[in-house]
Amino acid sequence: MNEVIQNSTNKQTHTYGESLWSKALRKLRKDTIGIVAFFVVLIYLGIAVGVCLGFFGSSWDRFVTDGYSGMSRQHIFGTNLNGQDIFERALYGTKTAFQIGFIVAIVATFLGGILGAVAGFFSGKIPDVLITWFYGVIDSIPFYLFVAALAVALADNPYAMHIAMISTFWTSTCRIIRGEVIKIKHLEYIEAARAIGVSYTKIIFKHIIPNTIHILLVQSTILFVTAIKSEVILSFLNLGVKEGVSWGLMLAEAAQEVPAGNFNNFIAASGFMLILVLAFNTFSDALQDALDPKKVS
Amino acid sequence: MDTFIYSLRKFFQSIPLIFGVTLISFVLMVYFGPDKTYDLLGKNPTQQQIEEVHHQLGYDQPFLTRYFIFFKEIITFDFGYSDSTGEKVSSIFARTIPVSLAVQLPILISGNIISIILALIAAYFRGKMIDKSVMFVAVIGMSVSYLIIVILFQIIFCSSYGLNIFPVQGWEVESFTSYLKYVTVPVLASVFLSIGYNTRFYRAVIVEEITKDHVRTARAFGTHPLKLLFKNILKNSLIPIMTRIIITLPFIIIAGSIVLESYFSIPGIGLVLYDAILTGDLPIIKAAVTWTAMIYVLSLILTDIMYTVVDPRVTLK
Amino acid sequence: MNNQKLLEVQDLVIEFTTDKGKVRAVDGISFSLNNSETLGIVGESGCGKTVTALSLLKLIPSPPGKIIQGHILYQGKDIVSKSESAMRHFRGKEISMIFQEPMTSLNPVFTIGNQMIDVIRQHTHASKKEAKERAIKMLERIRIPNPERRIDEYPHQMSGGMRQRIMIAMALSCNPKILVADEPTTALDVTVQAQVMAQISELQKKFNTAVILVTHDLGVIAETCTNVLVMYCGKIVERADVSTLFESPRHPYTRGLLTSIPRIREKKLEKLPTIEGTVPDLLHLPVGCRYADRCERVRDHCRLEEPPLEKKDDKTEVACFYPY
Repeated sequence: MNEVIQNSTNKQTHTYGESLWSKALRKLRKDTIGIVAFFVVLIYLGIAVGVCLGFFGSSWDRFVTDGYSGMSRQHIFGTNLNGQDIFERALYGTKTAFQIGFIVAIVATFLGGILGAVAGFFSGKIPDVLITWFYGVIDSIPFYLFVAALAVALADNPYAMHIAMISTFWTSTCRIIRGEVIKIKHLEYIEAARAIGVSYTKIIFKHIIPNTIHILLVQSTILFVTAIKSEVILSFLNLGVKEGVSWGLMLAEAAQEVPAGNFNNFIAASGFMLILVLAFNTFSDALQDALDPKKVS
Repeated sequence: MDTFIYSLRKFFQSIPLIFGVTLISFVLMVYFGPDKTYDLLGKNPTQQQIEEVHHQLGYDQPFLTRYFIFFKEIITFDFGYSDSTGEKVSSIFARTIPVSLAVQLPILISGNIISIILALIAAYFRGKMIDKSVMFVAVIGMSVSYLIIVILFQIIFCSSYGLNIFPVQGWEVESFTSYLKYVTVPVLASVFLSIGYNTRFYRAVIVEEITKDHVRTARAFGTHPLKLLFKNILKNSLIPIMTRIIITLPFIIIAGSIVLESYFSIPGIGLVLYDAILTGDLPIIKAAVTWTAMIYVLSLILTDIMYTVVDPRVTLK
Repeated sequence: MNNQKLLEVQDLVIEFTTDKGKVRAVDGISFSLNNSETLGIVGESGCGKTVTALSLLKLIPSPPGKIIQGHILYQGKDIVSKSESAMRHFRGKEISMIFQEPMTSLNPVFTIGNQMIDVIRQHTHASKKEAKERAIKMLERIRIPNPERRIDEYPHQMSGGMRQRIMIAMALSCNPKILVADEPTTALDVTVQAQVMAQISELQKKFNTAVILVTHDLGVIAETCTNVLVMYCGKIVERADVSTLFESPRHPYTRGLLTSIPRIREKKLEKLPTIEGTVPDLLHLPVGCRYADRCERVRDHCRLEEPPLEKKDDKTEVACFYPY
């Protein structure tokens, strides 16, 4: 009996998912700008992977000239105050950005998704009260000061920034998922599963979370961008990346160099970053449009 | 009177939130915060000296007692003295907050007015060229980092590489003209950025409202589009818009001030916080964290009260 | 000139662009309306009757909708070519419209007085005070108790029926020649429905207004209309005066609609008859008659050619090759 219900509910989840995803894919294919944006993101991903594999960007910390040098064939964006190749550093920064973006987006979405599903499933009961209280508290603390406070507590842990972002970014996802789960938990197949005594954990992980995947996907793209942008400010505040180089660190350097008329660091870092974030935002928008069942035009 | 009782009840409801914020701040910044013993005693203190200082600083007290001491600091706004300058924290705040407000208020007002107007236009012409152009600018605005904008605007307006019509940085404000001289570029940069996020959000809110039945009714009775936008639609969209403005206010002011004031050397709360973050000046960070959180909680209450003013369907229950 | 119609719709085609292709929601319909006539437009949901109603005020959401062909002549002048600003002086003054959902059709954050005054001042030069007096008078006319007090209330403080009556009062406050009522009673309780319909009829007589009543409820049509159009899939399939239509429906679809209404006084039926099948997808319309797949009188010819709307006798026009 249990088996039968499980099968039928699975099927329902499946067909629901399928129609949503195939419809989304059909809409996405028509969205030229969205597709272009997606390929731009892919190129960046390629750069990040290339850096990881050591194809390029590996000499980001080498001192190749004495102090500044302008753009040349050897050094496309010239070199910085220390004589390091700016283009190499920008490439390496891509890897750093993806690292931060992926870690923060995945963990924060995961955390927000699960806590949101639990809160929504038990809405009004103790787990929900605790979780909503908790994200209410986190949301009340200004982000940059929270990171500063966390940095104090973690005493120069290189991952203080990641931890800070994760521990604050999950709240938006949690809020949205909680709302969604409150809506879907009254669907027949979930009530049927409850009535038949399927365990709560199983219902949440097997029947509820899979039905919120499309929201989690969109959320993770938003968090990815937010993480990359936050890194810049945090690095400027000296709370950011501790190992390697990032666009934020480059911009912090640029802030010192620009008054003297050395724009190369600024142009390279902001150019790299702007194009990625713009493409990612555009792709994220296209994804949201495609996955929004209500959206007509 | 009703409003007063309503606010009071809302305040009591927000006590768990205040408790949570203070608890987290306490755990992060006091309980696991840096041990000041060695700063005070130098390199080779005796065991007795250490214990004495621990006692003085209250380190030997149990968790709860220390938390209550911290809580008392917040309520009385007595966070002691800045580690780096030795000035009283409360007087630093009192001195610098007005400067920040002088920068942030014009940003807030002009940024939101421009965004709302752009959003109304985009929503009214949704799907058309105007809408697409406005939204494209908005996406750029939200994709570019604050730091990049600030640097770029400084190059364009304040440096010999650009127009060079405003001072690079500083804050020597004696008259309204000198105020304008120093405030213009920071305000322009921030407004540009805030338009990105705000316009998108406001447009979404307004589009949702524009497709409602009562707008169709008003159109069916020949209402002028401008009246439709500025009366029928705007008042209905006001709740989400005002909520967003009020709720994000404390954070935008803090976060915005830090970058802006440190970059333009404006002696506001942001610059103080920037220095405090760089030097790990805990009393200042503690005060800023807890008080922004308190103001945030108060603004949540404020939005609840505001609903009852804007929307006749919400009553003071 | 004397026999000029108040409203004449000629060969109207309205297309909607969807992400799956173009759809003709209204496909070449023609009809006319005389002074103080009550015309019913009846059909299932999705047959194009609401789109037709909206088009009379050029209120079709555009994009995606567009009038691509035909004329709508009001007192002999075409409104299809009218500019949006010209339409503003037209809507509410010459033709007014009320909608299905009284719960959402009024703006929730303004008092009903505020909204009524807006409409009156839009089309007259009345001062605020005069407009308010006029609004109160309208409320008295629809017998809202304590109009001076209720005019300052918000829509949510009123019942659905009362809101719909206020909508009617608003719609008629500038003496329009035509009132278009799109499913005015569908969202209301049965007891309130009759009240609202009586209100429409009463005001129609008083103001000498012509009414176009769009509904799927044949009962409402029977009680109030003089002439009826039956629409199916964006086309008019039958046109007749109300007694002819109910006594001798000619089109198989009309007949199907009529027999699917339960009647209390008739002898017991085994089962309520329904029309088999579903409305065809507007994206994939058949070549011939659009009703062919559901029709009990269908013959081969019906699937090859579309029947035009033709006079079958002096009372009825039917778009069917083999009418009853």
